[in-house]
Order: sequence, then C-alpha cells, then structure tokens
Amino acid sequence: MESRDSHNKDDTPSCSKEANSPTKDKLFDPSIDMLVNDFDDERTLEEEEALAAGEASDPSAELSNLEKEGNMPLDELLALYGYNTKEKDSSSESDEAEEDSHVMEQDPICELLVEKPKSPTPPRHSKLSLLYESNMEDSEDTRNLTSVSRLTDDEDEDGDSNIEDDDYQKFEGGLHNIMVGNDYQAQVPDGLTNYEQFPANDNEDKLLWNPDEIFSQDVEDFLIKTRELFKPPIPEGNVLRDDEEALYILKECDYKVEEALQQLIEKGSSSLKVTKRNDTKWSEEECRNFESGVRSFGKDFLQIQQNKVQTKTVGELVQFYYLWKKTERHDVFANKCRLEKKKYSFHPGFTDFMDRFLDDQDVENRNCLSGKALDS
Amino acid sequence: MATQPHSRKRVCYYYDSDIGNYYYGQGHPMKPHRIRMTHNLLLNYGLYRKMEIYRPHKATAEEMTKFHSDDYIRFLRSIRPDNMAEYNKQMQRFNVGEDCPVFDGLYEFCQLSAGGSVAAAVKLNKQASEICINWGGGLHHAKKSEASGFCYVNDIVLGILELLKYHQRVLYIDIDVHHGDGVEEAFYTTDRVMTVSFHKYGEYFPGTGDLRDIGAGKGKYYAVNIPLRDGMDDEAYESIFVPIISKVMETFQPSAVVLQCGADSLTGDRLGCFNLTVKGHGKCVEFVKKYNLPFMMVGGGGYTIRNVSRAWTYETSVALGVEIANELPYNDYFEYFGPDFKLHISPSNMANQNTPEYLEKIKTRLFENLRMLPHAPGVQVQTIPDDAINEESDNEDKVDKDERLPQKDLDKRIAPENEFSDSEDEGEGGRRDNRSYKGRKRPRMEKTTENKEPEEKPKEEVKLEKSEESSKTNSDDTTTDTG
Repeated sequence: MESRDSHNKDDTPSCSKEANSPTKDKLFDPSIDMLVNDFDDERTLEEEEALAAGEASDPSAELSNLEKEGNMPLDELLALYGYNTKEKDSSSESDEAEEDSHVMEQDPICELLVEKPKSPTPPRHSKLSLLYESNMEDSEDTRNLTSVSRLTDDEDEDGDSNIEDDDYQKFEGGLHNIMVGNDYQAQVPDGLTNYEQFPANDNEDKLLWNPDEIFSQDVEDFLIKTRELFKPPIPEGNVLRDDEEALYILKECDYKVEEALQQLIEKGSSSLKVTKRNDTKWSEEECRNFESGVRSFGKDFLQIQQNKVQTKTVGELVQFYYLWKKTERHDVFANKCRLEKKKYSFHPGFTDFMDRFLDDQDVENRNCLSGKALDS
Repeated sequence: MATQPHSRKRVCYYYDSDIGNYYYGQGHPMKPHRIRMTHNLLLNYGLYRKMEIYRPHKATAEEMTKFHSDDYIRFLRSIRPDNMAEYNKQMQRFNVGEDCPVFDGLYEFCQLSAGGSVAAAVKLNKQASEICINWGGGLHHAKKSEASGFCYVNDIVLGILELLKYHQRVLYIDIDVHHGDGVEEAFYTTDRVMTVSFHKYGEYFPGTGDLRDIGAGKGKYYAVNIPLRDGMDDEAYESIFVPIISKVMETFQPSAVVLQCGADSLTGDRLGCFNLTVKGHGKCVEFVKKYNLPFMMVGGGGYTIRNVSRAWTYETSVALGVEIANELPYNDYFEYFGPDFKLHISPSNMANQNTPEYLEKIKTRLFENLRMLPHAPGVQVQTIPDDAINEESDNEDKVDKDERLPQKDLDKRIAPENEFSDSEDEGEGGRRDNRSYKGRKRPRMEKTTENKEPEEKPKEEVKLEKSEESSKTNSDDTTTDTG
C-alpha cells in the first residue's frame, strides 16, 4: 500500500497537491507567471487542501466511492488496491493514471495514508500554516510520516544486517520546509577575502603523500621492493597496490627511495602507526569476548567495549567487526546464534555470504582472507 | 563553454583512517565504514599514489559556528551516549536521537567530516589543487541549528563558505537521491551560491525540493530543484543532468563547483529508489569536471555500502582521469563485492517512472527560471550581477533577454578562480568593514587591502580576467553602496 501510495503521490510532483482535489482532475500546469508569483500557487494549494480535508470527514464521499468501486472493471479495481500498479504508474503522465490517482485519493483508506504528509508544504509564508498550525513548528513536532518504498528488498547483502539488523523504518518522512530567517541561512559576506596568511588550521592538515615529488616509475619500483620486503597480507592481483605506510615513510624521507627502504627494514612495517591501519592484533580471547559481547549486546559496540573487551577501543571493535563478519568464524558464530534465536527464521539466508563466496572462489584465497581478518 | 576532455588534474584527497570506526548504531543504515571500504579499494587499485593525500585537521567549534549556531555546536560537543539523559530537552530541540542518534565519538566524526571539506576548500582557494575529494563529507541535510537525515554538521556549507572567500559565485550540485535541503536552505537567500539538486520527490525524505522552490529575496532563482520519480536510469538522468547543468554554467558562471556525490541514487540502494549504475553516476562527475573549474567532490548518502565504495572509487578514478579495470582487485573487504567481484553494476529491471515528456517539462520550466537570472549572458559585462541585484525591487525586470554577448565573451569568464585580482581588492577596501567576521581566529584580511595572491599563479587567463574583473567589481561597489 505504501509504495503504491507514494507512486501516486509523486505523480507529477509539480501538481501532486492538486491531484487531491475531487473537482479538478486536470493537470495543474503553472505558467511561468504563477511560478514567479508565490502568492498564486499557494492560494490554490490552500483551496485544495481545504477541499481534501473536508472530504475526509464527509461520509457520503465514502459511500459514493464504494459505489464507484462496485461498478469498476476488475483490473481497475485491482489497480486501485495496489495490484499491478507498476504498469499503471509507469504511464502516469497519461490522463488515465491521473484519473486513477484521483480515484484513489478519494478512497478513505488512502485518505488515511496520505492524510498527514501533504508533506512538501510550500516554503515559509504559506497560508497553509493556518490549516496546519501544529505542523509548522517542525522541530518540535513528531515525525509521523513513515514510509516508504524499498527499505526491505535486497536487505543489504553488503551484509550489515546479519545480526538482527532491523529494517530501518524511521527514516523517511518529515515535515521540513525550507525556512527563511536568521536562524536558518548562512551568513554570506558580500565580497571576497584573501588569506593574509594561511588559515590557522592549515598546518594541521597532515600531508601523507604527494605524487608530484617523485616520478611515478620510481614509486612503482619502490612499491615492488617493499612488497618483497614484507609479505603482503592479502594476495596480489594484477594491479600494483599502494602501501600507505611505505609511501608515508618515503615521503618522510624526502622521496629518497634508498633511505626509505632502509628505514622500512629497520622499523618493520608493522611498527608504523601513521595511518593506524590494522595495527592492533587480536588475541583468541579477545575474539571470543567480542563474540560473546555481540551475543549479549547486539552491535552496541560501546557496551561490548565496556563490558567485554576493554583492551580495545570502540573504534577498533567496529573495524574488527567489519572484517570478522565476512569470515568463516563469523559464519560458525551466526549459525549457532540462528539455532539459539528464533528470530533468525525471519531472515533466512542472511549469513550465506561466505557460502556463496566459497562457491565462487578458490579455497586458497579464502583461507588467506579469513585468516588475515582474524590474525591481523 | 570551454570544456576540455580528459585533462589530467592535480587531485587532492582527504581521509582520516579513523572515520570508518564510527558507528551510528545497530540497524542504522548510515555506515561510515563505507568510506574506509572506498579508501581500501583506492589503495588496491593503485590510485592512492596518484593523489596528494591529506589527513584533515579536526574542524574546531569555531570553524563549525561559521554556519551553525553556537548552542547547537556546544550541544554536539557535550552530548555522549552516557549523558544523554541530561540532555532530553536539547535532543528534541536539535532533532538528535532517532535518525540522528547519539553515538560514541559523534562529535569527532563531525569534526573529521567537516575538517576535510573545509581543508579541501582552502586548498582550492590557494590553487594548490584542481580537484579536492572528501568522501567523508557531503552531509547535506544538516541545518543551522538542527541535525537531520543522519547529518549533524553541514560540511558542505562550511566548505562553500570557505570557497566564497575567493570565489564570487559557487555552484553546488547534488546528485544524492534525497533533496539537498540543508545546503539549499543555508544559501536560500543569496545569489552567490546556486544550489542545484536532483532528487526523488514526493512522499520522500526530506519532503522539500519542489520544482517551484526557487530561492527567496536576493537568492530568488538561485535554488534549482529537479524533482524526479522512482526508477531514474542512466540515460534519463543524463538527459536531464547535462542540459540543466550546461544551462546553469552558462547563466550562473560560477568560478568554483561543489558536487555532492550521494551514492543512494544508485540502483539497489537500501534507501534509494533510482536505478543508476556506477557508470551513470560517474558521468555526472565526468561532465562537471570538463568545465575545468576548481572542483570539490564530497560524499553523501549511500546505504548499500558495497556499491557506495564502487561508485566513489570509480569517481575518484574519473577525477584523476585514470582508467581502472572492471575486475576488482583483492582488498580487505573483498567478500563484500560478491558474487561477481566487479567494479561496475547492472541496473535492475525496475520501471522508470520518469517519462521523457515529464523530464522535458521540468527542463523547460527550469530553463524559464534560469532565464530570469540577472546574469543572463546579456548583461554581464557592465554588471557583475551578484551585487547588482541587491535592490530587490527590480531584480527580475532588469533582465534584458535580447541583449546577449557572443559566446567567446562567456568563455573568458570561465577562467577559474581568478576572481581575486589586485584591482579588485583595492576597490574593495571600503566594503570590508561591513562584513561580519566576528569571532574569527584567523586574522587574514582587514589589515591591508594589498592583495596577497597565493604563490602559485594561475595561467595566462589571469591577465585577461583582470581588467574585466576590476571594472566589474568597481561597478559592484557602487551598486552595493547605494543599495
């Protein structure tokens, strides 16, 4: 229902409000004059809204609707109640669809659905505010418009939803208008300014790499050499990958390749903290505590951190989570959970990413990847 | 306009490796992790070494209050998951709690996101880079004193405000599936920023973005909204994006562009309802890039994270003018990209409810609006419109549509970022005091009207521009003063 509703509602946005009117099912087509003149279209709106509001409380409208439905051909009736509206809507420019939506708007059930949101109320000075006084205070108001199309389908195979990732329902809606006033606009100066000196924070933007300082061929040679020094954590493909740690060292050494390599050998790449990437190892115990934390608190990583894995930061938990969830270890974990919790029966197949991956990829890659996630 | 295909650009990229560690909460569709996934793909594609890489500073409260209200930023700085109970009232007032939850490190997250966009703008102002990318930015719903739609601090507005120090006119383009309401609202009454948003409209968050919302006061006609329906595909999108942006470039003639690359307009997005592929989405980047204007690219929405990182990786490669293979390289998050492990994605078979007629109608109407711009090509030599239209009364009537300049004059105006020339600054001395830059930490202007142009001087066009610019600004000044 909702998605059909939204289809019909968004039918020609420029005239969506007008479609509500039972008396005018003509396409509202504001001339440029009307567009320029705020007053005009808002008055029209006001009228329409008033009509629509009156209709909702008029029982005879309901009766006449029922009668109309009785005489309606089957396919139209189906369309009315949300079946195969897709086809209908796709031709929505046409009069037919226009009429369709018109009929639906009259339907009291639909009326309930559409009633509140009249959402894109015209900006600020609208006289609509008289009718919807309470709504105009938008920041205080509850947002009662939930909707909408495709929240659920294909529920996120990038897989953040494996563990009770509730469908996200609250997002759509809102009664916001573009507001005008000192409380809303940015202060835009009239003219230009020059940086007399560079902004104070300028030096705080930390340069990690500058390609203009060195020939790209030299960089590539350098990267190949570092790769030989340190076994890469994940398999090499055809593309020469960038090692941000090593490149940073190279930059710190003024782009002198030999010096950088020397430093890398001395320090060992794991000791570099510049980019903070994967620089903490996880013990088996931490892994287990993490999993038990997920079981107790879901993905409330703050709770998990405070109660289960105090040796890591919340950020590290999140980072770990995104690697862990694609591992075999996670699969085992999730399967166990699935048995424990009935809830999972609502989301069959949620943890099948790894299986699918197994089908498609050779075992070697997988071992390497999943091993890495846990060991690093 | 002067566009130039496939030029190599100096690209500057802002990223903090902490950004992926922030977590909005269980079940929340916004996942900063997607920025790390993008980063990881960039590394593994070997694109990282081709860009200048910065870890941005954390934006200070002072920087954020260049747009946001002091109260609001103070609140964001204080609120934590463990003290939420004390802030009930304020949470309601600032709309923090549901869509915009309080999570661990919330304020830092905002600082990083905003820091990147401000830093990017400074970089462009200094002409130290031609394209700046901050995938951690793009949070276009945040309002002056209110969080909205997963956005708390509007890094885009802050970035544009920074750009406005050096650029008379800045163009903002938004290809997120949601209306860019926060940015539009922030600049709703100014003619120095034009906001152009392509979005799903009708029973859809945030509910704004009607075709007829065109700006107010001085900013009338400087907000452009393209309301779309479900199912926009690559072809339809291009058919509306290209003509609209071309016309906007022609009439508004910005000297810098910000593109919000919200990836929830991709097919299969968890919250979106369009049907764009990575290629189609990236075409917008490609098209805007061709104008050779100082160019900032920021992230935004995008809730099917494997596709978000695909799109932003591809768009980084487009910015660089480097081709990358469709075969995804191995990377830390390789399994996320199954079963095909390709960069590019296919559209679904969903119906496109935007008929060519519908799009044509929108286009026609928007063109009519754009013709109301005082900058219509005809009048720009004697008046630089920005200030010329200060007198609200006559802004619409002033346009003389019959008076057009030949194309070559337009082309000259495109020369990037040279709005600040010696002569202009001199002419500006009197006006400076009018501006309210209260509480700014950085000293920079005010003291002298001598100009300090950035070290790296622009190309030849500067000279061309100068004389023209100066005459314009002078006339500006007079208009402003009388106004």
